[in-house]
Amino acid sequence: MSGEADSLVQSSVVRLAGSSLGPGSGAERGAADRLGTSAAVDLSVIIPVTDRYDDVETTYWSYKRQLEQSGLSFDMTYVLVGQRPALQSGLESLNARGEPIKVVTLADWFGEATAIAVGASRSSGKLILTLPAYLQIDPAEIPRFIGSRGGFDLIVAARDRSGDRWINRMQSKAFHWFVNRLLGSRYVDLGNSVRLFRREVIEEVKIYADQHRFLPLLVERHGFTVDEVVLRQAEADRRPRLYRMGVYVRRMLDIIVIYFLLKFTSKPFRFFGLIGLSIAAIGVVSALWLGIERVFGGVAVADRPLLVIAALLIVLGVQAIAMGLIGEIIIFTRSAGTADYWIEKTVKKDDEKSTPV
Amino acid sequence: MDLSIIVPLYNEEQNVAPCCEAVRESLSATALSYEIVLVDDGSKDGTFAAAAAIAEADAHVRVVRFRRNFGQTAAISAGIREAQGRVIVTMDGDLQNDPDDIPMLLEKLEEGYDIVVGWRHRRQDERMRVLISKIANRIITFVSGVPVKDLGCSLKAYRAELIKNIPLYSEMHRFIPVMTSMTGARLAEVKVRHHPRQFGQSKYGYSRIIKVMLDIVSIRFLVSFVRHPGLWSVGASLISLAVGVLFLGLGALEAVLEETADSVVMSTIGTLFVALSIVLFAWGLIGYLMVANTRNHPLTRLSIVSWNLVDRSALPQGSQHVR
Repeated sequence: MSGEADSLVQSSVVRLAGSSLGPGSGAERGAADRLGTSAAVDLSVIIPVTDRYDDVETTYWSYKRQLEQSGLSFDMTYVLVGQRPALQSGLESLNARGEPIKVVTLADWFGEATAIAVGASRSSGKLILTLPAYLQIDPAEIPRFIGSRGGFDLIVAARDRSGDRWINRMQSKAFHWFVNRLLGSRYVDLGNSVRLFRREVIEEVKIYADQHRFLPLLVERHGFTVDEVVLRQAEADRRPRLYRMGVYVRRMLDIIVIYFLLKFTSKPFRFFGLIGLSIAAIGVVSALWLGIERVFGGVAVADRPLLVIAALLIVLGVQAIAMGLIGEIIIFTRSAGTADYWIEKTVKKDDEKSTPV
Repeated sequence: MDLSIIVPLYNEEQNVAPCCEAVRESLSATALSYEIVLVDDGSKDGTFAAAAAIAEADAHVRVVRFRRNFGQTAAISAGIREAQGRVIVTMDGDLQNDPDDIPMLLEKLEEGYDIVVGWRHRRQDERMRVLISKIANRIITFVSGVPVKDLGCSLKAYRAELIKNIPLYSEMHRFIPVMTSMTGARLAEVKVRHHPRQFGQSKYGYSRIIKVMLDIVSIRFLVSFVRHPGLWSVGASLISLAVGVLFLGLGALEAVLEETADSVVMSTIGTLFVALSIVLFAWGLIGYLMVANTRNHPLTRLSIVSWNLVDRSALPQGSQHVR
């Protein structure tokens, strides 16, 4: 996937800091060295930029100040999804002043999750922190957030919604009620773009398109541990938000896709087969009913809509069954060499110690 | 190495040590070289610690620990990947199987079978569970055409080269005998002992019945599809087309005879079958496309036979068959 993702990256990757490095101050040089040598830093910050973004200068400086507070060495990568000339010039001007940022542009709309995957493959930190290109949580909370990872493989921020508008709260409630119901999870803020995880997580769990929202769920599937940390919401994030109808429809589709992915990836027939068999069964029962009434009750069949409905249901059911079985063939022919489990460690006497895999 | 014994474990803290001890005891009577692969399927109790302690002390024992619970198929699959023996034996970690039966399974295997499955002819479980399991076995036998009396028994022996070739995912472990037998592997069933559970909880749930039924349909389909891609569905499609055309013809005839009411019924039925035939035909073609490049799929290579897996002299003389 990372190879795939890389091929999506526009050939003219802009790497601002390296190119315009002049004889600047020591601090600048140090920063640039950190970036240029790509020696492992503690923390790689990835900022995917999609539709929603605030003024570059404001977010950049408030993030940077807080990241420095954390005491970790870090690098920052902006991943622009689609071409954004205005934003690009803002980042260029930052860079002209010697700020150590890397910019990657995805040539077209490939989604935020792809952006995160690309950003991760082009950075080196042992830990990865994703931040939104707009203020979602109070930046002052970042050091506390980084400090609260503990032993977890992934932590996601959850906004404290107590100061938020009812319309935002309501939408979030509805979304999470639905997701948690369907997937048996217990998240309260999947829409939060502030996440901190170990590099291994993103190297193992492949995400793309709009899957970033469901990263915690996908990560849990691999057996990684996940926690939510409540942070103060940014003032600017409390503006009431309503989206176009299409956004809600897409969100709904995302949930269904994730549901299928998490529950039925390796057994598509259980999903389609159950649906298809039930539909076809209703069709067959209705048809039988019609036949019995015709033969024993002498009721005319021709003017009854049930006849057409029964025929339709049978065809529909068989089609769904066929889909499921085709799914099974796909899984079956590709199952060789793939594992749907993940090993934490193996213990053997000859190794003396436990070896993590 | 002659033998790998794979034991999937899920919350079997108290059973691990007695289980390993029992296996060791049963095999010490033989001269077989063996290993025990314990697979801890993300247990929440002290199973891993107990298993790791045994592995530290005994060079025969290895432990694989999952990050979380991935299910029994995954555990068996991981164990098989880890195993080095020429023969692989799977058994439950709950002491309900008796390791004393292992030499008998091997002897049977050595008679020239590819798989030997245990049959718990005197099961020590709740009556309801036994009944449901029996019905399920009957249905599976009927659908697959493979006469297996007890698919649920975990105690089984396989030739390693065979089992390592089988794609294992989802909850397929239950169907290994059926799948391989449908592709020509020689299967034997022997009576084995079965003991009531001593420690811990059974992980059985009735919700799996529908899943098992759906799974067996897909397995039946997969095996026939890998062998004759498209044959089945294209055949069904042609029959359906013939029936559809027949009804449409009747409909047309009645329209000519001005029997409008009957004509509507016949045409509807005719349309139904024609639509079905199109769906079935498309299904067969797409399926064919998908397996077209995988004719060398493992499943088609499963019937290779090899003999003399276990050194016969290593087995104890006249090991007991259970009656």
